[in-house]
Amino acid sequence: MNFVTLDGRSGAYRLTVAILALLTLGGFAGFIISYLAGHQVFGASNAVPWGMPIVMAIYLIGLSAGLHILAFLIYVMHQDRYREVIRAAVFMAIVLIFGAMLFIALDLGRPEKFWRLFMLFYLNNMSSMFAINAIFYTAYFISATIYLVSLLNNMKRFSLVMGMVAFGWAMLTHGGTGAIFGFIAAREPWYSPLSPFEFIFAALTSSLALLIVALVIIYKSTGRLLRQELIVSLGGLVKALLLGMLLLMVIGELTHLYAPSRDAVVYTLTGPSSWLFWIFLVGLGAVVPLVILFHPRAKKSLSGLVIASVLIVIGIFVKRFYLVIPGAAYPLQYYPGKIEGVWGALGTYRFAPVEIALAVGMVAFLACLFILGLKYLELLPAKQPGEDAVTETPAIKQTTGELNSGAEGR
Amino acid sequence: MVRWGMVIDLDKCTGCQSCSVACKAENNVPHGSPEEHQRRMTPFWHKVIAVSRGQYPAVSIDLIPMPCMHCDDAPCVTVCPARATYRREDGIVVQDFRRCIGCKYCIIACPYGVRSFNYKEQEEKEYHRPDLPPERADRGVWPFPRRVHGVVEKCTFCFHRIDAAVRQGKKVGEEVVPACAEACPARAIFFGDLDDPESGVSRSLASRQSFRLREEMGTSPKVFYLPR
Repeated sequence: MNFVTLDGRSGAYRLTVAILALLTLGGFAGFIISYLAGHQVFGASNAVPWGMPIVMAIYLIGLSAGLHILAFLIYVMHQDRYREVIRAAVFMAIVLIFGAMLFIALDLGRPEKFWRLFMLFYLNNMSSMFAINAIFYTAYFISATIYLVSLLNNMKRFSLVMGMVAFGWAMLTHGGTGAIFGFIAAREPWYSPLSPFEFIFAALTSSLALLIVALVIIYKSTGRLLRQELIVSLGGLVKALLLGMLLLMVIGELTHLYAPSRDAVVYTLTGPSSWLFWIFLVGLGAVVPLVILFHPRAKKSLSGLVIASVLIVIGIFVKRFYLVIPGAAYPLQYYPGKIEGVWGALGTYRFAPVEIALAVGMVAFLACLFILGLKYLELLPAKQPGEDAVTETPAIKQTTGELNSGAEGR
Repeated sequence: MVRWGMVIDLDKCTGCQSCSVACKAENNVPHGSPEEHQRRMTPFWHKVIAVSRGQYPAVSIDLIPMPCMHCDDAPCVTVCPARATYRREDGIVVQDFRRCIGCKYCIIACPYGVRSFNYKEQEEKEYHRPDLPPERADRGVWPFPRRVHGVVEKCTFCFHRIDAAVRQGKKVGEEVVPACAEACPARAIFFGDLDDPESGVSRSLASRQSFRLREEMGTSPKVFYLPR
């Protein structure tokens, strides 16, 4: 199978890059403000210490899992039909993990000291889940990059090995991210041994859903023919993973609900922000997509699959948000009784403009990186003869003639 | 080996909050504004919480002064990736601002909420205290005349006082105590060596029933409370 670069000289492409670059500048300005003025410009506080950047970081980590499940299917299950999307998926994963690390660095109070996170075993406390995850994230980034290089160079054997390494490592990474939250006994809404597994399932679900949306957008906007059967089979996978995630969530909540000390889970299920949980996560993020994915006609229609995927992507975002912000807002019970004043009150969080600008800007930066990658790397499958892309094919030949002839030569 | 600890007699405590004020002055902790306090953004190294039980008129209120518990098995030490917070040999859990990267994981992990993040570049007036005695000047770099924003702070059991007293051969717990214990008008706070059976804290612990906060967390705090 041949892969080609995107032409990237159309007006729409340039406009997209320009808009994304502008948003990126806004995000950068937000970061400079937060660096100079301190985190008072963010919405977080000592009661809710982590805000939007950490929500985005764990969300992006999860979204990057798509490549790995594809690699698993190709090399272990021998599902060769997924080969045509693997390159784009790997590149997307690299961009997303990079974005997640960027968000973590930007959330640090002293971002110039981020290198301390990578002084493994030397200046680091290796019992910290953060330091352990620094190993996971770095190796994940490196293994995915090597994997992409091996794919770009058509190194069949090596890419098989790297694909398996990346898949195994992804499970550690997503589980480790879950452990950052699940291992903290002081925060009752988070404390759960199921947390790493829930993170793995949520990551796989959301990343496959994102992959469906991204593929449909890219294939449509570049005039490629998207094979129905490919997307439908991805939809079936999303369904299975979503069911697995729901099962873990139900088990986790039920375990905590069954014990008499159930205040934290009652807060999670019925607290003041629980509408987020019920409407966006359970309702729109799980029930509606499941209805679509089980519906005999809708599960085979492109629009049905895209709607279900978009809802899942939003639902998992709300799941992350609900964990990090309302989860941390649950007050600590220092002493039995009702703690008066701010010390016993539910933590507050407000959406701060600088924080939103930072989050939007970084996401725009990542999107910009991704579409620039499509232009400069051979990520997309070449168009089949007969596809209606007469306007673009010659341009591709011209700009990337050398690269194409190189690829065809093999 | 010494193991510094604190005993707070809730029977004597009147809830006057002198301890919190003395801590702010001693350690140069910024005052903060009421709005920032409402949002939980002001640094507090020491706080006094009021816990009510029951409904008026059948109500009782417990006033609990809360410094850092200096846990023997401190969750904040476990989770700090940069070794910025660590337990000294004498049991004091300290925070090194130069190492701290500001990830706030320790604030998440602390079961007692004693850690504060420094959310802004403090203005000079926030902690300029001309009313303080001039001998503050010769305590070296601690307490910092200025602080950087973006790092986590917490109570240190006034280790600068303890270290100076140990160097000078003074008796810690009798002649020299942390600022909160010194300021307490009711003499409700005792400080001393928990491993020394002759120390004041050990004797007061032996004399009465005592408890620690959130013992079910298994953190072995070194701040003990004598109930009312």
